[in-house]
Amino acid sequence: MFVTAIAAIAGIAVYAYYLDRSVTQQFQGRRWTLPAQVYAAPLELYVGAPLSMTDLCAELARLQYRATQKLDRPGTYRRQDDRIDIALRATRFTDEVRPAQVLSITAGVRSIEALRDSAGQDIPILRLDPLLIGSIFPTHGEDRIVVTPAEVPALLPAALKAVEDRKFDTHHGVDPEAVVRALWVDLRSRQIAQGGSTLTQQLVKSYFLNSRQTMGRKVREALMAIALEAHFTKSDLMNAYINEIYLGQDGDRAVHGFGLASQFYFGKPLAEVDLAELSLLVALVRGPSYYDPRHHPERALARRNLVLKLMADLKVISPQDAASAASRALGVTTRAAGAYYPSYLDFVRRTLRRDYPESDLTQEGLKIYTSLEPRAQDEAEQTLDRELARLERTRGPTSASLDGALVITAPASGDVIAIVGGRRIGYSGFNRALDAARPMGSVVKPFVYLTALETHRYNPASIVQDAPVDIRMSNGTHWRPLNFTRQTYGPVPLVRALAESMNLATVALGMDVGVTHVAQTLQRFGLERAPAQGPALLLGAVNATPLEVAQLYTGLANGGYRMPLRAVRTVISAAGQPLKAFPLELTPIAQPDVVFEVDQMLQQVIERGTGRPARAVLPADVVVVGKSGTTSDLRDSWFAGFSGSHLAVVWVGYDDNRPTGFTGAAAALAIWSRVLAGLGTTSWSAAMPESLTEVSIDYFTGLQIEGACANTNTIRIGVPVSTQLAKKPGCIAAVAPSAAERLAERLRAIIHQ
Amino acid sequence: MTVRIASFFLVVILAACRSLFSPERPPNPPTGSATPEAPANAAPSPAVPAPTRQYRLGSAASALVTQAHVRAAAGDFPAATATLERALRIEPENPLAWIELGRVQLAAGNAAQADNMGHKALGLAAGDPNAQAAAWRLIADSLRVRGRNQEASMASARAETLLPR
Repeated sequence: MFVTAIAAIAGIAVYAYYLDRSVTQQFQGRRWTLPAQVYAAPLELYVGAPLSMTDLCAELARLQYRATQKLDRPGTYRRQDDRIDIALRATRFTDEVRPAQVLSITAGVRSIEALRDSAGQDIPILRLDPLLIGSIFPTHGEDRIVVTPAEVPALLPAALKAVEDRKFDTHHGVDPEAVVRALWVDLRSRQIAQGGSTLTQQLVKSYFLNSRQTMGRKVREALMAIALEAHFTKSDLMNAYINEIYLGQDGDRAVHGFGLASQFYFGKPLAEVDLAELSLLVALVRGPSYYDPRHHPERALARRNLVLKLMADLKVISPQDAASAASRALGVTTRAAGAYYPSYLDFVRRTLRRDYPESDLTQEGLKIYTSLEPRAQDEAEQTLDRELARLERTRGPTSASLDGALVITAPASGDVIAIVGGRRIGYSGFNRALDAARPMGSVVKPFVYLTALETHRYNPASIVQDAPVDIRMSNGTHWRPLNFTRQTYGPVPLVRALAESMNLATVALGMDVGVTHVAQTLQRFGLERAPAQGPALLLGAVNATPLEVAQLYTGLANGGYRMPLRAVRTVISAAGQPLKAFPLELTPIAQPDVVFEVDQMLQQVIERGTGRPARAVLPADVVVVGKSGTTSDLRDSWFAGFSGSHLAVVWVGYDDNRPTGFTGAAAALAIWSRVLAGLGTTSWSAAMPESLTEVSIDYFTGLQIEGACANTNTIRIGVPVSTQLAKKPGCIAAVAPSAAERLAERLRAIIHQ
Repeated sequence: MTVRIASFFLVVILAACRSLFSPERPPNPPTGSATPEAPANAAPSPAVPAPTRQYRLGSAASALVTQAHVRAAAGDFPAATATLERALRIEPENPLAWIELGRVQLAAGNAAQADNMGHKALGLAAGDPNAQAAAWRLIADSLRVRGRNQEASMASARAETLLPR
C-alpha cells in the first residue's frame, strides 16, 4: 500500500516534471507560424497626381481611416471642402519607414493641388499606407498577425480579464473556485461544458492541445497552465493569449489572434479599434462561429453588449461609455466578395514559389509588396461583370455562363496592376487570366507586321495583296483561309490591312517574310512555348493566356524592350530586412523605330479599323492603340492594347469552348475600352524615333498625299527617313470616295462591329 | 561594398558636370513632360537635330531622385532602385528618370541593365539633345566598365556632338 502510494506520487512527480520541462521549452522557443502578408501598391500623393477628392476618400475608406472632427490618432482624417487632413499611420515600405504624421491635401476635380505637413511646409511626395490584401496561409489554415504589447489597446487585457478570467492577475494558472463551479455544472449536466478555464488554461488548450475535452485532458491542461505560470510573467502570457486565440473562420482560413481579427472584422490595426469594436472582438472568444457578426449579427450584438455590461460592472469602463458603445452598430466591414483579390494573389503565390519553399511563405512572417492597384482592380472586376451581363442579355438565355478574363499592367514598368481571372469575383477557382490558354486569333497579327517591317522591305504604306490564298500543306490538304467579311480587298497598304484585320493580306505578308521568322518574333517578345510553325500561325493558331498576351504586347508598348511582368516588387523579412527585390529589367528585342511603326498602325485599328467602337467610349483626345482578335466560329473574343499609362488584355469566351457569337471587337473591346475610360487613362504618346519621318498617306491606297490633297482618308504615319513613297497622281483637288465606296465602307464597319 | 560606393560616387561625379540640376539647363522649361515646338513639316535631320523639347523632372520625381542618391551613396542600391522606380512610375516617358535608374544600376554593378536603360532613354529623348547626350554618357560609362573601351569612346563622342560648346 505504502509502496504503491510512493510509486504513485513519484509517478505524478515525474509526469509533472516532464510536463513542466516540455511546456516551458516549447513556450520559451515559441514562434507562431506567420503567414506572409501581401500588400497592394501604396497610392502616391504629389502635386499633380491624378487623384480627385473622391478617389482620395475612396482610398481612405479602403484603408479604414475614420472621419473625425479632431485628428486625435493615426488612422483618422478630417475633410473640409477641397481640403483633407489625414493622421497617417506609421508604415514600413520597401525603401523606408514612414512615421505616423499629419498631412494636409488640397484636391481638385482631377488632381492633387497641394500637399503639406502639419507645419504647413510643402511635401514633394508621400505615400498612403499600402492596403493589406491577403496572406499566404498554410493548408492547415492558421492565419494571424502578431502584435506586440505596444500595439494592443490597454483596454483589451482589462476586457479579457473582466469577461474571461477575473482572477487572472492573482491565480497560479487555475482558478479552483471556478473549477469547482464548472465541475458542479458539468456533473449536473453529465457532460463537459465550457467554463472554469483561466486565460492561461485557454492558452494552453489552444497552443498545446487539440480541442477534444476529456477529464484527462482537463487535468493535463491545468498542470500545464500551472507550469506556464511558474515560469512566465502575466504580461507574457496575456500577450501570448492575444496572439494565439481563435477568433473566426474565412473558408479554409482560421483567423487567430486579435491582430488579424481586427483586420478581418474591421479592416484596421488593433491599435485603432474603439470600445464597441474591442468589445465585439472579446465577445467572439466564446464562440467565433456562434457569435459570427457577419452571419449572426443579433447574437453578436447581444454578446458584445454583455461584454460592455461586465466591463462597466467591474468599473473597467464608465456606465456612460458602456451605454454609448452599446448603442453603436456592429460596424464590421461587409468584405464584399473580391476584397481579397484571389486572382491576383494566385499570381503572387506562383511568382514567389519559384524562389521560396511553401513553408517560408506560410510561416516566416514575410511581408510581400505587390503592384496591385486596388482602384484598377475594382474597376476591372466591375466592368467585366457588368459588360458580360449586358452581352448575355443581348444573346438571350443560354445554358452556360459567358466568362472572361482581364489583365492590366503599367506598360512602362511592367507592373501588373490588376488581374481578373473570371466573373465569379472572390472565388479562387479557375484563373482564366493565368491558365486559360486559348488561340490568339488576330491579336497575333502585329507580330506578323513587325516581322515584315524588320526586313526593311516593307513600310506601313507598302502594298500587299489581299487575294485568295491556297496553301498546300505537307499532308496534302489545302489551307484556304477567308477574310472575316468573306470579301477580298485587292492591293492594300499594310496599315489598312492590319487596321481592318485582313486575313488574306496578312497571310500573304507572313508567307513572304516566313512563318519561322514570325514564330521567332513571338518568342523574342516573350512567348514561352515554341508555336507550331504552320501558316495558320499567321492568323493566330497559337495558344496564349491573357497574361502571356499582355507580356507580348509589353514589348510593343515599350519601344521594343521586353520587361518581365511583375506582381511582386519586394519581399521583406519579419524583422524588416529586404530579402528579395524584383527590379525592373529591360531586354532589347526589336528596333524602336519598327515598333513605333507597328504602334502607329495599331492606332489606326482604333481610328478606322476593327477597334473603332472604342472611340465612342474613350475621350476624343485620348490616343490608344490595340488589336482585336476573334477565333474560328467566334469561340474567343480578344482585345489587347495600350495607352500611355495602361496596357490591358481582355478575353471573353466560354470555358467549354462553345462559340460566343461575338467578335473581339464586339465583346472584348467593349470591356477593354470601358475599363480604360474608367481608369482615366492617358494618351499613348511615344516620341517618334529620329530614323523615321512623318508623312501623309491615303489610308486606302498608301499613296503619299501632299498639301491641299489631304482629305478625310488621309492619315499621318511614320516611315523610315529614306523611304520614297509613290505619290497620288493628278492630285489637284481632294478626291472624295464615290457614294458606292462610302456605302461599302459603312457596311464593312458595321460588319466588323 | 566600398568599391561599389566608390564607383557610385565616381559615376555621380562623372554625371554631375551636366546633371539634372545643372545650371546649363535653360530656364523655366515645362515641368514633367515635353513640349513639341517643331513645325509639323520640319524635315528631321539626324546629324544635327534641332532641339524640339527639353525634358526635366517634376518636383515629385526630383525629390525621389534626391532620396535615391542618398540611398545609393550609403550603398543601399536596392532601396535606391526602389525609390527610382517610384519616380519612373510617375514619369515613365521621361528619359531623365531612366537615366537616373541606369546610373544606379551601373553603380550597383549591373552594367548591362544600365546600357539598356541608356538606350531606352535615348529612344524617349528624341528632340532633346541634352537628354540624348546624358543617355549616351550613361551608355559610354556602362561600356567602359565592361572593358569595351572603343565602343565607349564612340558613345562618348556621340554625347559630345550633341552638346553646344
